[in-house]
Amino acid sequence: MAAPYAPPHALRVSAVHKSYGARRVLRGVSFDLGPGTLAGIVGENGAGKTTLLRILCGQTAADAGAVEHRGRLGYCPQETVLNDFLTVAQHLRYFQVAYGLSGLRRAEELMEELHFSEYRHSRVAVLSGGTRQKLNLTLALMHDPQVLLLDEPYQGFDWETYLRFWGVAARLRDRGCCIVVVSHLAWDTERLDRLYRLHDGVAARWQPGPGPAPGPAPGPGGG
Amino acid sequence: MDAPGRRFATASSFALLEHTRNRFALVLVVFYIPFWLTMEHWFVASAPTGFLLRATGRHLTVDGNRLTMVSGALNAVTLIVGFMMFMTTFKSLAFDRRLVLAGYPRICLLVAKVGAMLLAAALISAYATAVICWYWDPVRPWLLMAGVFTAGVGYGGIGILLGAFLRNELAGLFVIIMTSLLDTMLQNPISNPGATKGGVQFLPEYGPTQVSVAAGFSDATPYEHLLLGPVWFAAMWLLGTAAFHLRTRDHRPAAGRALSAAARP
Repeated sequence: MAAPYAPPHALRVSAVHKSYGARRVLRGVSFDLGPGTLAGIVGENGAGKTTLLRILCGQTAADAGAVEHRGRLGYCPQETVLNDFLTVAQHLRYFQVAYGLSGLRRAEELMEELHFSEYRHSRVAVLSGGTRQKLNLTLALMHDPQVLLLDEPYQGFDWETYLRFWGVAARLRDRGCCIVVVSHLAWDTERLDRLYRLHDGVAARWQPGPGPAPGPAPGPGGG
Repeated sequence: MDAPGRRFATASSFALLEHTRNRFALVLVVFYIPFWLTMEHWFVASAPTGFLLRATGRHLTVDGNRLTMVSGALNAVTLIVGFMMFMTTFKSLAFDRRLVLAGYPRICLLVAKVGAMLLAAALISAYATAVICWYWDPVRPWLLMAGVFTAGVGYGGIGILLGAFLRNELAGLFVIIMTSLLDTMLQNPISNPGATKGGVQFLPEYGPTQVSVAAGFSDATPYEHLLLGPVWFAAMWLLGTAAFHLRTRDHRPAAGRALSAAARP
């Protein structure tokens, strides 16, 4: 009998472990995500969400386990990692060269979608927290990644920008991008195809009930 | 322009831009150097002072005021270049790591930073030498500029190393200031009459001080001592580069990286 068809995974995480000294942060995180999936990982502060995402993008080494992704990777760190001496346009130019892009068409689209094109020639040091976060996100998306890792991506966004962010995420998902959104809030979970809760170092499929969510309060600026 | 050339050109232009937008460093260059040298010219007595020019083995008797100005120029340039390189390394480490993970070759970023530093150090050294020449005529001003330049380069390396290792801005600035002050004080026979003792040659400013004093007051050209500043730079830069490599390592398995690279748009 022929084996049932299994779609190829975009991101496969197998038994990832990570400790900091005696503190075991991740104790065997495993999950598979296919292309065109919008997944969320929630957990309380200190549950290991950022550590997990840093392992997924290659910034931190796991103690054990394996991570495999197919296609271009995009990563938006929790803190805005920008260069205060450079303008928005100079950031785009730097990452255009880093990604090996021939043009900035996608970056221009994202700037329009997130409404910060007018800051193109402003130095990052003078931008508001929300605009810095928009640029932080654009740098992760401008090369049209096939696997996208977002760590608390809507910090500092106002409500309109928060909704635009989900619009961008949904369109990416519809184009086949596998997206992982990490947050300490179980907020707007109906927008997600899958939701995991990171608890006691393990990620388990989770359906938020009527009880309290892992985070203290909902909202885009919750951090 | 091909891809490697474009990467190098982009990193170089932005590295230079960072220095030009470091307003505090620019203020230090424009105002602190002439102010410092003018104060020394005004307050330090012109008494004859003995200096052991180890490069030639000769004991020179020089004007103490002018000797202090040479020391002051070395001190000011080492502080400024060390501070500039510390700040640019310290502040851009996370950003550089992000660029490397996005595909920017580390070597382009590193070489661009060094190129920008060499240009900045050359301009600052020329400016400091010009201020000295305003007050008196060194025997060979170009060699004096080269001596001051090698001091700046050596401390630029120290700034890179501190920027790669220290996690606190204040700690880095404090270490650079104290190291430069102590180094300058120990080389100068006015502040340290025992500067003839062995051991000073192991300090970063030793070679540049020998070259600069030789340029200011003699016809000797201590070629070997001209290399000591760059040797200090190379040693510090290698250690800083090792730290940079460790902190920007891509921990994804090689297969995953290959898949990702193959999928570049």
